[in-house]
Amino acid sequence: MLNGLNIEGTTLLHRMSVRAKLAILLVCGLALYAVSSLYILIPAFVIAAAIYFTTGLAFREAISRLKPILFTIMILLIATAYLTSIHEAAESFFRLMAIVLFAGAVTATTATGAFIDEITLLLQPLDRLGLVRAADVGLAFGLVLRFVPDIFNHYQSIKEAHRARGLKVRPLTILAPLIILTLKDADTIAMAIDARGFRRPREKPH
Amino acid sequence: MDIRFSSVSVSFGGRTVLQPLTLSLTERRIGVIGLNGSGKTTFARLINGLVKPATGTVTVNGLDTVQDASAALAEAGFIFQNPQHQIIMPIVHEDIAFGLKNRGLKADEIERRTATVLERFGITHLARRRVHELSGGETQLAAIASVLVTGPGILILDEPTNQLDLKNRRLVENTIAGLSEHTIVISHDLPLIEHFDRVLLFHEGKLIADGPAAESIRTYHAVAGC
Repeated sequence: MLNGLNIEGTTLLHRMSVRAKLAILLVCGLALYAVSSLYILIPAFVIAAAIYFTTGLAFREAISRLKPILFTIMILLIATAYLTSIHEAAESFFRLMAIVLFAGAVTATTATGAFIDEITLLLQPLDRLGLVRAADVGLAFGLVLRFVPDIFNHYQSIKEAHRARGLKVRPLTILAPLIILTLKDADTIAMAIDARGFRRPREKPH
Repeated sequence: MDIRFSSVSVSFGGRTVLQPLTLSLTERRIGVIGLNGSGKTTFARLINGLVKPATGTVTVNGLDTVQDASAALAEAGFIFQNPQHQIIMPIVHEDIAFGLKNRGLKADEIERRTATVLERFGITHLARRRVHELSGGETQLAAIASVLVTGPGILILDEPTNQLDLKNRRLVENTIAGLSEHTIVISHDLPLIEHFDRVLLFHEGKLIADGPAAESIRTYHAVAGC
């Protein structure tokens, strides 16, 4: 899931239930890992791209959401090509990109609240066994979706601050302030969650 | 509103940030002022239990903020310095509704209350907007709406006009002035609180002035040396 911002629309994915979308995503992901033929992986990639780019996202926004994950996939691609073969690297690329694009489409067409509700509901059996607090996991998931763009904004601000001071932008010098800022935000957000009474009480067994 | 502090002090890591304090708050609009690090925010956070006292007790409408934490929390809503941090959902309408959903209300009741609070603050047109697209003033209003939709009788605002331009400042000031709830406002924005019923002045973790706004503000100028 690339970004917390879903976009309103009336496409088939928008109308589909969250559960159905997550189930399809899971099945597609598993299926794509079961095949290693480019004759299947390339069409899967094309179909996923077609779905992603027709969710209603502006083209530039759609591309910018892909950039961070694309960077990671490229590193993986180079490592796979170097360690195994170009053919295997191509397989990995199309497989991962197909999954990422479909996951991006699911994220873009699903409201965060709906995600939280569905995850909370799906985890209820584990909650009843006392293994997890379903509501907390749902909320945590929602928080990730909501605040990923904020972390990206912090990254941009730190990068600009580096440039304004004439410093070279290096991952190591950016990482420390980014982690500190993120942790500081996390502290306040945790306090805000308490202040607004957002943590749902565990459901009592009937 | 009946907030009581009985011999309350707060320490962080062995350092006392709030000296023993005993007072009662009943006025409708209360301002809290002081230099940076004077203990204002700690004082305000004690009211809804975000900070626990090292000694003494704080009660809100008879509810102890430690013993009856959840009930006390429901009595007093809190708006943080950066309201972006307390808006959890990406869409304004979703965030307002989320607070009600957590209280187990039915969908039609959630919708009704959300629509009412959006209308009350004149932000119905922002309902479907993304939080990060709002102006500073609009974000403040959305945060206030999100908190007040659950019906607390007291609203605590921590520097609500901080970093706002003149237009947004006026918008937030007018909103605060029109609130029917009891409000406690921590602020460096002295014009905002100059007509309040009571103003508390903190300095180095100690309450050094408590009375009519004009008197406390005068003492504040003396303390700040300007």
